[in-house]
Amino acid sequence: MSKPRAEAEHDSDEHETEKMSRILGSSVAELAESSEHADYAKYGYHHVYLANIESIPEITRHFFDAGYLLEMVTCQDRRDDAGTMRLVYTFNHLAHLDRHLVHADVAADAEAPSITSLYQAADWFEREVYDMYGVRFSGHPNLKRILLPEDADFYALRKDFGRIEDAPQES
Amino acid sequence: MSNLPTAPETLADYVSGNLWLFFAIATAAIMGYLTLNALFLIWLERKISAHIQRRLGPMEVGWHGVLQTVADMLKLLSKQLVTPRAIDKPLYHLAPVVVFAPVIASVAMFPFAEDLVILDIELSLAYVFVFGGIGIIGIFMAGWGSNNKYALLGAMRSVAQNISYEIPLILSALSVVLLVSGLEPVIINDNDQLRPASGISLIDIAIVQDAKGWWFVLVQPVAALIYFIAAVAETNRAPFDIPEAESELVAGFHTEYSGMRFAMFFFAEYTNMIIVSMVATVLFFGGWSGPLLPGPVWFFGKTYLLIGGMMWFRWTFPRLRFDQLMSFCWTVLIPLSIVNLLVTALVLELL
Amino acid sequence: MSTEPNPEPNPAMAPDGDPEVYYLNMGPQHPSMHGVLRLVLKMRGEEILEAEPVIGYAHRAHEKMAENRNYLMFLPNTSRVDYLSGMIYNIAYCQAIEKIMDIEVPERAEYIRIIACELNRISSHLLWFGTFLLDLGGITPFLYCFDDREEILDILDSVTGSRLTYSYGRFGGVTMDVDSAFVARTRAFLARMRDERLPKYRRLVGDNVIFRERCEGVGVITRDVAFRYGVTGPCLRSTGVAYDVRRAEPYSIYDRFEFKIPTRVEGDTMARFDLRIEEMEESCKIVEQAVDGLPEGPIMPAKPKKRYRPPAGEYYFAVESARGHFGTYIISDGTDVPVKLKLRTPSFSNLSSMPDVLRNTMVADTIAIVGSIDVVMPEIDR
Repeated sequence: MSKPRAEAEHDSDEHETEKMSRILGSSVAELAESSEHADYAKYGYHHVYLANIESIPEITRHFFDAGYLLEMVTCQDRRDDAGTMRLVYTFNHLAHLDRHLVHADVAADAEAPSITSLYQAADWFEREVYDMYGVRFSGHPNLKRILLPEDADFYALRKDFGRIEDAPQES
Repeated sequence: MSNLPTAPETLADYVSGNLWLFFAIATAAIMGYLTLNALFLIWLERKISAHIQRRLGPMEVGWHGVLQTVADMLKLLSKQLVTPRAIDKPLYHLAPVVVFAPVIASVAMFPFAEDLVILDIELSLAYVFVFGGIGIIGIFMAGWGSNNKYALLGAMRSVAQNISYEIPLILSALSVVLLVSGLEPVIINDNDQLRPASGISLIDIAIVQDAKGWWFVLVQPVAALIYFIAAVAETNRAPFDIPEAESELVAGFHTEYSGMRFAMFFFAEYTNMIIVSMVATVLFFGGWSGPLLPGPVWFFGKTYLLIGGMMWFRWTFPRLRFDQLMSFCWTVLIPLSIVNLLVTALVLELL
Repeated sequence: MSTEPNPEPNPAMAPDGDPEVYYLNMGPQHPSMHGVLRLVLKMRGEEILEAEPVIGYAHRAHEKMAENRNYLMFLPNTSRVDYLSGMIYNIAYCQAIEKIMDIEVPERAEYIRIIACELNRISSHLLWFGTFLLDLGGITPFLYCFDDREEILDILDSVTGSRLTYSYGRFGGVTMDVDSAFVARTRAFLARMRDERLPKYRRLVGDNVIFRERCEGVGVITRDVAFRYGVTGPCLRSTGVAYDVRRAEPYSIYDRFEFKIPTRVEGDTMARFDLRIEEMEESCKIVEQAVDGLPEGPIMPAKPKKRYRPPAGEYYFAVESARGHFGTYIISDGTDVPVKLKLRTPSFSNLSSMPDVLRNTMVADTIAIVGSIDVVMPEIDR
């Protein structure tokens, strides 16, 4: 794989990035339960946090005020390991590369707060998470299925649905 | 007396007294001509569009696809006539007739050569415009009778477009009428009766240009341009083809028509093109006048050249949005044509 | 778990007691809605009060498929997510795995990848250009664009074997090497594109008065809307934000090439049009530089792995596709089957901004606006 970009050219940018992300990171880290720096060259993001689901709106507000774009909201089915659904939010700034990954665990069948009031991008992302995982978002203006048929009675990306082992066997 | 232009002998004169014979010959001639014309024009359109688009067009049926239209017509004839259930039956079924019939009547009034005309009516220009207007009712009948939101939207737009663009069409034609009446009157020998040329008769306009030796487009270029643009709009051709725009409203007012009924609308559109082009030829380009070649060659040559221009437009320009189309008519064409009319009148008064 | 079989309708689309409100449904089968998009419009007269895009008609469960096969088996799927940027997506997936597993890609393969991806970008923009004009009623440019596109497809076909959906990348390089015929053809294509075709498109289409009337001031996306909806790609750059993943997070060897990031500030359809034409030019520049600098060497690592087991963890990798920021989010548990693979596709967010952009516009502009956003439904629905 190609070498990481020349350090010398981007030293000052990285300095700026680090400064800004440190300011942001520390204020978000205070709200989160745990936060870590991540090696961008390996993982593709700079910070990762684990936050309480209740503090997500406030954390989001910090990112919104700092001008970070909401890149993605998705979910991971961890009911086998930890009995929760893990929501994943990705924020990135357009002017300087600084990606933050925020995890938030939601108990199975519990509701998560919606962040559509801040980022309208979350409207469709949260609908997709609901569609695929069944996580409901309180305060969402229009929470209904987005990709699967409206009358589907399953959540497609859950680990207990659609396993190859469950497929009907040729008899 | 001998060097005065003579009014042509019409078919009506030849078969004077025998009305049935007249109708028979006239109808046969017109229908025959229109059918061949439509066949030819559809082929021409496909070839022109193909070559503009870097491809060949029909090549299989007949030499370079000349018989393609015949094949398509046979196909359309053999199609099942699907009639939607919830239509308004009288309107739905009469609409193609109302759209198509008036244009047939208009063809009878054009002078194809000095002595080749079917009917000589004094107010032939006015008649042509009247018949053109009747077709608009048919469009609305089609849209309403189809009981389809898209068809109705298409029909309403088409009607609004047509009645708006009739105004600059007629105003620019009026400039020519004024011109003929205001110039030194050309005396025409009509069966040994002398009369001044009448500006509202298509035949007389052509005779005047022939007699004077120059075409009216040279004196009325603005009117010619306005007329041509309005003509393209009248026939619902691109860039004014919002009512039939495929990507906007499926197929506009004739969405619910299939098979032969659809063919009638298609036929009517091409016939309409012929009519407006013929009027333009007579009004601005001298009709049959031209050196060397016989009259009909010039007449049809000019007509089809104008039609070729219309086809060129269609495959070059994108579509105007409906409100842009309307505002272009009302804020640009109509004021311009009124000004043109006034200037014409003024100049004629001063001369 | 029970779900409501008949969900509540979108409250924004309720008639609010206004008797003149009516609903127009565009699609999912419509000559003009690109792909299977259904757009429900709440209208009064010719004005759109509210628009609701309904998606999901092309949902093929790619993400679920990823969880049921190993990383290598998922390669063919990647092209089909966005078939117009198929090469870019295919290579992006390879690059993601290479970054995670620290696989070194030979220089020659990097250059070939750049050439293929940028040609793919040009062909995607060409298709957009042709279909956009088709929607507006100008049928002829479509044929010319497809003529150009045919050349690109033939060039890529000669080396990959596929015309549209490629499985050209492998983890570590590319499958087939390019030869001098490929280089010659590419150079000829670039020359024709830059000297003849692009100026022609600019002059005959971009300067056409009717086209300008249809596009100027239409479908304005403001910076604020773009930010809140996560819009990326040419739609974002048309609002003045110079964000391109190739510059913001350089991947592969993009940092070695000179190319501009075109931006506009008006944010309207005309801006997006001009922008994409310029992007085609810039892509031509990149291909030219890559072809000039193509080094000799292998196209795959000397000892490619047999099994791909990324270490446990979460990874994110982003590239600039023809439509914007395409991100691959992989959660691995150390086995050769991913725990989760999320494809963050740009059209998903771009299309979600439609309600805001279409509000209070005229229905006749809908086609132009939705066309100018350049959405590809399969990548929205996956």
